[in-house]
Amino acid sequence: MSKKRIIVSAVIFLAVILGLLAGIILTNNPNHVEEETIQEVMKDAVLHDHVKISLFGIKEVNPGLISAFITTGIILTVAIIIRIFAVPRFKIIPGKFQIIVESAVGLFDGTAKGNSPHKFKLLRLYMFVAGTYIFVGTLFELFGVQAISTTGKPISLGAPLSDINGAIMMGCTTYLFLLINGLVVNKAKGFFGVLKDFSLPISMSLRLFGALLSGALVTELVYYFKMTSFFIPVLVGIAFTLLHALIQAYVLTMLTSVFYGEATEVHEKKVKVKKEKKNKNKNLTSEVV
Amino acid sequence: MGNLPLNIDVQQILLHLLNFAILFGGLYFILYKPVRKILDAREEHFKHLEEEALGKIEESEKAKEEYAERLKNADSEINAKKEAAGKETFAERERIIGAANDEAAKILKKAREKAQSEHDRIINDAQKEIADIVNEATEKIVLRSDLDTYDQFLNAAKKEEADE
Repeated sequence: MSKKRIIVSAVIFLAVILGLLAGIILTNNPNHVEEETIQEVMKDAVLHDHVKISLFGIKEVNPGLISAFITTGIILTVAIIIRIFAVPRFKIIPGKFQIIVESAVGLFDGTAKGNSPHKFKLLRLYMFVAGTYIFVGTLFELFGVQAISTTGKPISLGAPLSDINGAIMMGCTTYLFLLINGLVVNKAKGFFGVLKDFSLPISMSLRLFGALLSGALVTELVYYFKMTSFFIPVLVGIAFTLLHALIQAYVLTMLTSVFYGEATEVHEKKVKVKKEKKNKNKNLTSEVV
Repeated sequence: MGNLPLNIDVQQILLHLLNFAILFGGLYFILYKPVRKILDAREEHFKHLEEEALGKIEESEKAKEEYAERLKNADSEINAKKEAAGKETFAERERIIGAANDEAAKILKKAREKAQSEHDRIINDAQKEIADIVNEATEKIVLRSDLDTYDQFLNAAKKEEADE
């Protein structure tokens, strides 16, 4: 690319940016009064008291549930496309796309095996599904998918897990998963081992909810004021959401893996150790005698 | 269950759960299972290759050891073979010399026999010749003789008789 072309491209780019800024400033209505205060916006982002969406006319639900359905739809559609068009062409020696898909599927293999060497097949599947759901669900808020609330206002759909109900579902499902597997592998001992951590579902749920909600709140805050609506969302919206998606998926899957490892850990019988100890003691006494 | 704090709604939690269950099942059957199958097949494939390679390495190690052992024994084997070859050569030489001696003895014996028979034949021939000459001489003498000679002969015979 010649220098002249670079200069022309830069000038065009700057002109477009300046034009857009001028348009935004010129279309500003100084008589416009904010309908909601920042407090109301924040409260609504947390509780979804007023902003509801009709679920096929059956029930009014939080926007997070619609986000959850759309997220699942997106993930399954992509999975079906990969299954139909890519998987039949997969070979023993993989291509680039196959490596990406296989890496995604096998991403949690090491963690699952490391934390639960005795029983890890179901764990790695759960980690894969939960991790994918949290990651894609968190990234979902980046796209700003629009929906119409029951009051007729257009709203931007957030992450499914920034809805308290979604976060509770994730935390409790993970806890149930641990309980059931503890019961299957270690019978009552495993079951009660997990049960004694009764704070786990609450902590998991609130951790997810708090983390994702804080992201949503920061975004709401940034977009609420006009001055912060320029440039900053590039960092806040994209970088934070990306980090968020990765960190939350990692945290929940890691916690699941660690607790699963504890719940399904195979305990060695202590009798053998005692016998061995006794034998050792006998040997020692005989040596001494 | 209507007025839980933080707008918690059990029905919506269940809807979230249904959504997650659909995602879990769908993702498992559509993507996870087939891809995992390929991963397992690959793992199996490379495991098999590794086992094969290990087997071959083991075989080559054995062969290497065997050759090293053979090399170690090669000197003594060569000496043994040399010795055997030397013994064989000596035996062959002895056999050839013995055969040559036998042959020489046979030839010598034949030559002696031949020489003996030639000697006998020559003696016989000479005796015959002598006899013939004697006969011839006797015949000549007899034919030329006269009475005196005959008398002389008789007298001599008588004289010899008287001396006795």
